[in-house]
Amino acid sequence: MRIVIVGAGKVGYQLVESLTKENHDLIVIDKEQEILDKINDNFDVLTRKGNGISSSLLKELGIEGWDLLIAVTDSDESNIVACITAKKIGVKTAIARVRNPEYVVELQFIRNNLGIDYIINPEYATANEIIRLLLNTHASYAADFAKGHVRMSEIIIEDSSNLAGKQIKDVELPGGVVITAIMRNGEAIIPNGFDYIMKDDTLYIMGEKSVVDSVAKTAGVRIINNRVRNVMIIGGGKIGFYLAKELERLEINVKLIEQDLERCRELAESLNNTLVLHGDGTDLTMLKAENVEGMDAFLAVTGFDEENLLVSVLAKQLGARKVIAKVSRSNYTSVLETIGIDNAVSPKLITASDILRIVRGGRIVSISLLIGGRAEVVEIIPQEDTPIINKPLKELKIPKSIIIGAILRNGKVIIPNGDSIIKSADRVIVFTLDSHIEKVTQLFSKKGGGFSIHELINSAKNAGDAASM
Amino acid sequence: MNSLIVLRTLGMLLLCEAVTMLPPVVVALIYREDTITAFLASIAITALLGAGLFSIRVKNKIIRYKEGFAIVTFGWLMVSILGALPFLFSGALTSVIDAFFETVSGFTTTGATIIEDIEVLPYSLLFWRSFTHWLGGMGILVLALALAPALGGGTFQILKAESPGPISTKLTPRVNNTAKILYVTYTVITLAEIVLLTVGGMPLFDSFIHTFGTLGTGGFSIKNASVGAYNSVYFDTVITIFMIASGVNFSLYYIAFREKRLAGFLKDTEFKTYLSIIAVSIILVTLNLNGRLFDSVFESLRHASFQVASIITTTGFTTTDFDIWPDFSRAILFVLMFVGACAGSTGGSMKVIRIHLVFKYMKREVNRLIHPKAVRAVKIGNTSVQEEVLSSVMAFTMFYILIFITVTLFLAMQSYDLISSAAAVAATLGNVGPGFGIVGPTSTYSALSGFSKLILCFCMILGRLEIYTVISLLFPQFWKR
Repeated sequence: MRIVIVGAGKVGYQLVESLTKENHDLIVIDKEQEILDKINDNFDVLTRKGNGISSSLLKELGIEGWDLLIAVTDSDESNIVACITAKKIGVKTAIARVRNPEYVVELQFIRNNLGIDYIINPEYATANEIIRLLLNTHASYAADFAKGHVRMSEIIIEDSSNLAGKQIKDVELPGGVVITAIMRNGEAIIPNGFDYIMKDDTLYIMGEKSVVDSVAKTAGVRIINNRVRNVMIIGGGKIGFYLAKELERLEINVKLIEQDLERCRELAESLNNTLVLHGDGTDLTMLKAENVEGMDAFLAVTGFDEENLLVSVLAKQLGARKVIAKVSRSNYTSVLETIGIDNAVSPKLITASDILRIVRGGRIVSISLLIGGRAEVVEIIPQEDTPIINKPLKELKIPKSIIIGAILRNGKVIIPNGDSIIKSADRVIVFTLDSHIEKVTQLFSKKGGGFSIHELINSAKNAGDAASM
Repeated sequence: MNSLIVLRTLGMLLLCEAVTMLPPVVVALIYREDTITAFLASIAITALLGAGLFSIRVKNKIIRYKEGFAIVTFGWLMVSILGALPFLFSGALTSVIDAFFETVSGFTTTGATIIEDIEVLPYSLLFWRSFTHWLGGMGILVLALALAPALGGGTFQILKAESPGPISTKLTPRVNNTAKILYVTYTVITLAEIVLLTVGGMPLFDSFIHTFGTLGTGGFSIKNASVGAYNSVYFDTVITIFMIASGVNFSLYYIAFREKRLAGFLKDTEFKTYLSIIAVSIILVTLNLNGRLFDSVFESLRHASFQVASIITTTGFTTTDFDIWPDFSRAILFVLMFVGACAGSTGGSMKVIRIHLVFKYMKREVNRLIHPKAVRAVKIGNTSVQEEVLSSVMAFTMFYILIFITVTLFLAMQSYDLISSAAAVAATLGNVGPGFGIVGPTSTYSALSGFSKLILCFCMILGRLEIYTVISLLFPQFWKR
């Protein structure tokens, strides 16, 4: 696929990283030469310094007929205009990132009347993700696939766990569950039967929902009382606002602490039942005074990763039941579990996985980026004529780091073995390390390819940019 | 530095070189020459070494600046060393230094030779000698990138380090597609010249050889008198036009093809400057020659334009002995040796764009004296040039002149005359080929001492890879972690 990315910020960079692994042709436009140089050093893409809304620049790059333009600059308006311009020039699909809450109300209008195909709102998506985690019964991460039939769950092995110290082949798992990966000291491992499960490991298990839950239970995962009544939010930014709004709707009591008085007034005006508090979220006396220990959940969503992490640890120690922190930089994900935070959400990864799902097209139903983007769970409906269809899995030479975790056929979950065959109407849930995503795409895409003179002439007609020197 | 990826890439490069040694084998078969074993042995050695290096397992596939520089510099050295094997194995050249010199001269598209009587060499060797021009012109690593599957992140570093010019850009998002486009463009123009020469009556083999020399802006001929041996106005004209065409940035052809119009050429400042320099030089030389060496304006124009095109594009073909030309004409040719062709072409030397920028920079400095508070950007056409690029161009120019002076001093020290010494350095550093005096168009570099030849080999590689790539490896900081 031929893709233009406008804006090489955090999300833009993550997208370049993910998309180049899948062999797409990429052009990256940004105003900063420095970030473009960094991208050029690390990835095989065409970079161009300039303004992505300039129609002459887009035309000069010859992107007419290209498949996709993703506008992720830090300005909503630029993103919208870039998408409109690209669509007029002849790019097939356009995705804009729009984060201003005032526009969120207008999304339908923007989509229908301005011709932008997808609008991504990272803060809104992040808030939704946090709510999902909040209402989740597990203490840790879990995600559902295949219309809710298949669940992938994270199990943190504690001292008391009966799994600690065992070899995987000795673990008696009920039928319908596989251990897809182990995260140890921030590294993702695809285990075989001879690997040991150690204390402090995080296991990712996948299988039929009820079975996964029971395994999680016996493995010592606390199943939290699902009733969330009182929630405290630190940070009244966009995410904090969306969270409060949604929690209000769910009739949950919300206390929202925000530092900026002006912002507090705005929030108080637009929220109904939320208690907006003006103060410093890191202030211990204030947290105690507002009864942090009685909270069912504590959500730290300020603009600073460090502050979120710190205040979360504090809240956990004070006794908040479930603690979720927003962490933008994925470098931090490896330390989270060691400091006792239940969940961390990264708007960058959420946005990137949303966009990746669109890029990979309709065949892919859902994607989750795990372990700081180093692994993915993908739900795919395979098409006819793809290599993976109608062949026993053992004949497919699938690399070790790709695991076909589950197959949903006619409403039934099948945990495949080497003799299993995937059919065209199945839903397949695949777990993979990010180094092998391209291989997954190959397995699930139609045959053909290679470079030919035709392709050259086509690329000569449509593609690419050339500088005059 | 990630030396494993460097070695693996070098392995891939040698495998490519082994493949490029196959056409001479075909030539040997056609002409039933006994050089065939020499070529097969060279292929075997190159391929084995290449396969050995290529089989190295590499975990981290990222190529950064350092790796790019190392791959390109060592790549060119190894390719030249192994490319010299056919000359040695066949017994055509007995001295290792001579064979190395000839191959470096071939790959760097210099065209300086140490072979006194070229006409006795077997066809297959002549073919290989000129084929190295063709390969080296667009870049042997660019070829490897075009042929090989994507090497992983950072291959752009290789393209940047090998392709000439102060600023490198890709034509398409992917390096290997860009490399393919460059080579297809290159091949199309090559075929066009072969056809035109053959139609004009040049034997097919000869037109291959002279086309390789023209397109790569190399200058190896198979006649001792170079193109002059044919004494044909038609050949001179065709070769002149194609020499000038090879000195143009190849991405301009691609853009013209893509957009189906020639606007790209007319918008390109470097192209216009390049043509102006050629036009002015031809007029001056013609006026200077007319009535002195040639009786008719036509004859003067014919030789003036051929020689000007040959020198500015750093090709080095000759139709006449320009060493006996009047001093003014010789001086113009000498200056042109430093100008060179356009960035992104197959030509060598300093490049028109750099000269252009140096002048713009000087103009800005003078302006600064008049308006000390003025803030000005140096522009090419309508795009402003980044300050880093400007300072890199200035430093390049200083490096170029410094190397020229140093090596000239070194040659003069060995009691070669000043003109010959200076011309030999200018002609090798600029990848031109023939110089003046003892290295003039009618003689060869064979008179020089072995050590001098090696120094000039170094100059040729420095010139082809545009100094920075090579010289950065000589700094101790490069090898520190």
